[in-house]
Amino acid sequence: MMPSILALMPMLVIGFGALALMLAEVLTDAKTGLAVGTAVVLFTAAAFACAGWMVGPENLGDAAVFAPWLVFDRFTLFFEVLLALSGALAALVAGGYLREHGIDRGEFYAILSFSTLGAMMLAAAGDVLMLFVGLETMSIGAYALAGFRRGSPKSAEGALKYFLLGSFAAALMMFGFALLYGATGHTDLAGLHNALASESLRSPSIVIALALVLAGLAFKVSAVPFHMWTPDAYEGAPTPATAFMAASVKAGGFAVLLRVLLTVFGDERSASWATGWPPVVALLAVLTMTVANLVAGRQESIKRMLAYSSIAHAGYLLVGVVAAIRAPAQAQSAVLFYLATYSVSTIGAFAALVLCGSRGAEVVSYEDLAGLGRRHPAVALPFAFFILSLAGMPPMAGFFGKWFVFKAAMDAGLHGLTVIAFINSVIAAYYYLKVFVFLYMREPAAGAPIAKPMWSGEVVTAIALCAFFVLLLGLAPGAVLDAALAVGGAG
Amino acid sequence: MHVQTYAPMFMLFVAATAIATLFFTLATVLGPSKPSAEKSLPFECGSDSDGAQHVRLSVKFYLTAILFVVFDIESVFVYPWAIQFRSLGWMGLASMMGFLLVILVGLVYAWKKGALEWET
Repeated sequence: MMPSILALMPMLVIGFGALALMLAEVLTDAKTGLAVGTAVVLFTAAAFACAGWMVGPENLGDAAVFAPWLVFDRFTLFFEVLLALSGALAALVAGGYLREHGIDRGEFYAILSFSTLGAMMLAAAGDVLMLFVGLETMSIGAYALAGFRRGSPKSAEGALKYFLLGSFAAALMMFGFALLYGATGHTDLAGLHNALASESLRSPSIVIALALVLAGLAFKVSAVPFHMWTPDAYEGAPTPATAFMAASVKAGGFAVLLRVLLTVFGDERSASWATGWPPVVALLAVLTMTVANLVAGRQESIKRMLAYSSIAHAGYLLVGVVAAIRAPAQAQSAVLFYLATYSVSTIGAFAALVLCGSRGAEVVSYEDLAGLGRRHPAVALPFAFFILSLAGMPPMAGFFGKWFVFKAAMDAGLHGLTVIAFINSVIAAYYYLKVFVFLYMREPAAGAPIAKPMWSGEVVTAIALCAFFVLLLGLAPGAVLDAALAVGGAG
Repeated sequence: MHVQTYAPMFMLFVAATAIATLFFTLATVLGPSKPSAEKSLPFECGSDSDGAQHVRLSVKFYLTAILFVVFDIESVFVYPWAIQFRSLGWMGLASMMGFLLVILVGLVYAWKKGALEWET
């Protein structure tokens, strides 16, 4: 009885916590505490997930009685911790940002919590229907967050594009699962896997289903050519929501991508280079990395540059997913570790970007950063720090994330793919370093609007936590890497 | 391979089509027909069916409609649960109470946010 409740605790804490936040917003006048309250709820959930990890999912056996459609393994727990931490950091950033920009409406925090809950359900889903409910819970929240700046046409445009394309992608994916159900009679992932692995079953509808599901998932992780919504949605959304979408929604997408490709389509025929999805995913990875990096270099807006950067990171992650066909445990743990490093780096970068500007004097383009390193070294430094981590410079976290993914790809014999990924990370250095040029080597043009930094304890706390994790994962990656390897070993 | 299990579905489609066709035909053949200008207008739920296309409706309609959907879905879930109440036992009761709690919080939220006020 007790252990099984422990398995559900992270989700229960977030679910009831989000309800309490909703009530707190309407029943009290306290606006300022909501961000911290959200962070506390999500940190508590992360702590429960850690407790579940220590007890061990194998000792939580009767959890299946309560929630037969969820899978409680180390994979789920790893993502629960990652998603709860990402959500909490994004909530802290929101605390400062929303107040500064005069859009301090409390529903942001409840939506963010519910969306995080959806991402967890997605990572834990053991059944196609549960997966879809989780996907929609996560996505609908993300659509609302993207359109949260109601007065801004850009926000509305980005949110509408995201919503329309996102619903379409979800429908494609559901259609794929419906075809799979028609062919096999199963909706649970394990049952689907067994049915597809049996030699007797050969149906063209399975190939169509695979294509549809892959398209839907590629949309969620914003892989080229399904990335069109990303720059607009990321640019229009309030920056904390952008951080949330770049970290949590992407992590949720990769959780379900790994689960579906390696569990459902993990049989010998579907996961072989000659007859299955690996060449398609490899092509997606090459397109994603190359297109995103080339286009990112041409952006004027910092947020659009970071949006294309997040697409490029999805490309590197897809390289790891392809490697998982030959070295499942190693490649999967590399992808998980990369997601951890990427999440803290990207949330940190967006948090630092928030701190660089204030209401009416936001940092929008590179020009706005000109001379910031000289005028306000204390806010320029964190931004530069997280950009370095995103670029993959040692000893930052981003370097080791890339290192393990590329190493897994090399060990899997994917030499060509690794070389392309490596060349791409060199191309990416161009636009990351451009930030440095503007921060430290340029002065603003005469009469140009100058970005004024803001001050917020919440944002500074979020930055400090992100910086701690970036240094921890960069200098002492052992603990998290062991955790990621334990996931790979178990799964 | 599971085609035979869909046979009742197919029969339902056939029966539904047949009944609808039958009623339309009977109404056309048997019904008295005395058209007038007023009667020949397209019926649009009591609203005028001509005029400007881009009428701006108040967002209050949307709020009311979405709240209706929420509580409609609630009753859709509660009825089958009530019928199976005894066989579902305590677990069923706890699940339904959890669901109702979520809906209740939503109602309190909507109320306090002023979504139920028409005159504002």
